[in-house]
Amino acid sequence: MQEKLKEINKQAAMNASMALSKLINRPVGIEIPRAEVKRVEELRPLLGLGEIVAGIYLPVTGDIKGAALLVIPKESAFTMSDLLVKRKPGTTRKLTELDESALKEVGNIISGNYLTILSNILQVKVIEHLPSFSFDMFGAIVSQIIVEFARKVDKALVIELEFVFKPEILKGYFILLFEVEQFKALIGSLGEA
Amino acid sequence: MDREVHMGEIEVAKDDENLVASGIGSCLVITFCDPKQKIGALAHTMLPARRMSFEVRNPKDERRKTNYKSSDTRYADTAIDEMLKRIEALGAKRENIEAKLIGGANMFPALKSDIGEDNISYAREKLKSAGIKLVGECVGGSQGRSMEFFVPSGIVTVKMKF
Repeated sequence: MQEKLKEINKQAAMNASMALSKLINRPVGIEIPRAEVKRVEELRPLLGLGEIVAGIYLPVTGDIKGAALLVIPKESAFTMSDLLVKRKPGTTRKLTELDESALKEVGNIISGNYLTILSNILQVKVIEHLPSFSFDMFGAIVSQIIVEFARKVDKALVIELEFVFKPEILKGYFILLFEVEQFKALIGSLGEA
Repeated sequence: MDREVHMGEIEVAKDDENLVASGIGSCLVITFCDPKQKIGALAHTMLPARRMSFEVRNPKDERRKTNYKSSDTRYADTAIDEMLKRIEALGAKRENIEAKLIGGANMFPALKSDIGEDNISYAREKLKSAGIKLVGECVGGSQGRSMEFFVPSGIVTVKMKF
């Protein structure tokens, strides 16, 4: 699994960096320091359940059905908004519609690039849908997505992200949740029994 | 002392204990308090009723027969039965029990999810049919909640983002 997953991470990060750099017209690096499969119960300690985050949720259909969720902690979301909409650093303390729209676009870029590479390497059809945005408690956002799939989701692929807007490094998580059988098949395709 | 109750769990408490739940979205937290006996229970439920969720969405899925547990505390209907069983075992009287509901939001209004609303309406009905007084609610909307339940007094405080 490690080799294929590393390859997917590398290509997706590179493509997403290029797309994001183009969007904001300055170089941005996207790095994936870690990616691992976790049980949904293990998502809790990633961030505090009550911690405020920007959550960009994209439903996924096709050969694999599930959800893609980009999570950016509050302060990182504010800093990213400054950079995305070209405000003076440290200015954003509340997200406007423009910020939400810009952060949704970041979700589109991360998710679109990751799922495209994943579908090419694993030869599966993946259709992602329009992003929805919520700026609220991490637990409330992630639990609603888990509940949407009721008992059909038990594991998640958690991809740690670093957005390198020199000199800033902003952290986030990209979380993929797929239905149990499809997740098993996906992990199987990545080479893990 | 605070005790965190996670999704799908039930806890009962006596005397000087607080039960807490953080980051509640579409989930519904149900609290029971018998103020005379100073006994409380909290359920952090995820879905309204088993028959309304998995079976309805997956009528042909065989797992529905094997996975069912009557004490499945993820569902409001079985969780309410289980809460009653546990709180009455500690000495609470059903006629004294006061219930409160917290949660049932839709974090992504653009997606038109009914889960939060279904959780609220199902729990209200179930409490009514079980003869339990519903004395307070902080439900619906599109914001997450964190709550604390002070068992000796029955007071529930809810925090939201703003």
